[in-house]
Amino acid sequence: MNYVIIGNGIAGVSAAEAIRQLDGSCGIFMISNESVEPYCRPMISLVLEGTVSASKLPIRGSSFYQSLNITPVLGSRVARMDVDAKILFLSDGKTLPFDTLLIASGADPRPVKAPADLANIFFMRNQHQVLKMLEALPRTRHALVLGGGLVGFKAACGLLHRGIDVTMLIRSGYPLSLQVDEIAGGMILSELTRRGLNVRVGTEVTAFKGINTVTGALLSDGSEICCDLVIIGKGVLPAVSFVPRDRIQVDQGIVVDNHLETTCPGIFAAGDVVESMDIARKTRWVNAIWPEAATQGRIAGMNMAGRAVVYKGSLSRNVIRIFDLDILAVGWVNAPDDPRFTVLSEHNQCLNTYRRLVFEGDSLIGATLVNRIETGGILTAMIQNEIPVRASKEKLLEPHLSLKSLMF
Amino acid sequence: MNQVIVHPERCVGCMQCMAACATAHSRTRQLFSAIRETPLPRSRIHLGTGLYAEGFPNRCRHCNPAPCMLACLPGAIHRDMQTETVYVDPDRCINCASCAMACPFGVIRYHEDASAPPKKAVAIKCDNCMERQQQERVPACVEVCKSGALTFEDNSKALKRKTDQVAQSISAGIDVPQGSPSFTLLNTIKRAQIAVRHAAV
Repeated sequence: MNYVIIGNGIAGVSAAEAIRQLDGSCGIFMISNESVEPYCRPMISLVLEGTVSASKLPIRGSSFYQSLNITPVLGSRVARMDVDAKILFLSDGKTLPFDTLLIASGADPRPVKAPADLANIFFMRNQHQVLKMLEALPRTRHALVLGGGLVGFKAACGLLHRGIDVTMLIRSGYPLSLQVDEIAGGMILSELTRRGLNVRVGTEVTAFKGINTVTGALLSDGSEICCDLVIIGKGVLPAVSFVPRDRIQVDQGIVVDNHLETTCPGIFAAGDVVESMDIARKTRWVNAIWPEAATQGRIAGMNMAGRAVVYKGSLSRNVIRIFDLDILAVGWVNAPDDPRFTVLSEHNQCLNTYRRLVFEGDSLIGATLVNRIETGGILTAMIQNEIPVRASKEKLLEPHLSLKSLMF
Repeated sequence: MNQVIVHPERCVGCMQCMAACATAHSRTRQLFSAIRETPLPRSRIHLGTGLYAEGFPNRCRHCNPAPCMLACLPGAIHRDMQTETVYVDPDRCINCASCAMACPFGVIRYHEDASAPPKKAVAIKCDNCMERQQQERVPACVEVCKSGALTFEDNSKALKRKTDQVAQSISAGIDVPQGSPSFTLLNTIKRAQIAVRHAAV
């Protein structure tokens, strides 16, 4: 039996571990375009920030492949695949046959419209890109960050920590608009501007200036900005270029059933590339986050090795700490204005806390917490397990959740 | 393997476990000097309220598999197989609060601690008082608990005792051995108060 895993991120790694646990003798191949050992991708922004060294990134140690008897195929991408003959064609011309396949190819950064072929214009998706940024940092006076999503936001925070002047361009009115609502976004924005971030709302870059290295950018509002480093964080797109769409259903991401199997039997998918059932939204959604990738990888691995395990569905959740602000957002935080949904919120300006809960009927489906986030896990568990709230919903707003507050 | 077992029905909410826990995890291990330490030692057991406004000592369950361990980005949380204890390595912890999002019991806090590098806030949770256990002492919260709400015993024995109690209570004609009459009284009063309050509303 030959298991092939495309990708060595946390989904691929978790799957390989699950397969090896259930099947000691099978062959496991892992393909990755990165040639480093498996590492913690969410932590690369901390390397940029300078609080964590790159040597702390590996998640499983250098003997990972060896100890699990995995054959790594590093430094190559999958160019295309033949699902009938069960063969992968790699970008370096090699082929790799498989019996059971896991697509955990992750996601690639969304490109910008303006041509970005100058030096010192970076995406922030992998360790290599961040190490290249670190080389450019000593000569950086002013940095430009495109996009107010998680990546752009973490990049901006990291650079601010290093004392670099940062301008951030966001299309919507406040940063992290996909993760938080307007009030929490406003709190984040005011904290960031207090720390020296320049934010320009509603504009985007039309062209970059510079001869070999970037020196500035032209904006859609006609103005011009000087910068010697650009980080593009406009979100990610599932990496599905090699997937035959006539055989494997792809919507936003690869569509999977509740065993994480694609529409083509024997081919599974896990991680950022997957479009799975969202527990809060009750519709298919791409939740490209680390904890879901880890869970999906493990469950896909078990299913691949022949042990049927059901995947309950994914749930978007993020926790972000910036300077003096802790933000936790889980589930469907920006549910539309609809009588189906009840929204409760409490903004305490003295304590600088904010809580916003979204209910659908009796069920909690979304929560945003700013500061005092310790009990966020209880709310997450309530959403995940779809536990109906029969007691007073207002009590859930209290920062100190207790059983009593839920009952009376 | 002995472990800390919580008996919420016996908790009177005196919070002595919290003081004992904070002291046991201080630098000097003495209450009177601990309160003058910087950072101020903090408890890893959190007293909340239960169903009938009785105390509820909320502490880490050392789950298996532990959701915090699966969620930890830098791999700072690990399980000691021998003692079934889930530990946070303060040197590896990056204080990202991913575990806050994962813990279904809300027992992880983030602050500076005597066990962590100076000036670094890290995730802090119950460590089953391993240091004390190595000295053959029971965990601090258990030692100080006067009402028997926290015991340190073999889980299977505790389970057996409870099962026997349940079995006895459903066998007709057998005198049910009551717990301490004062606890029964206390809990009855609390339930009655709540019932009265409910009736008034």
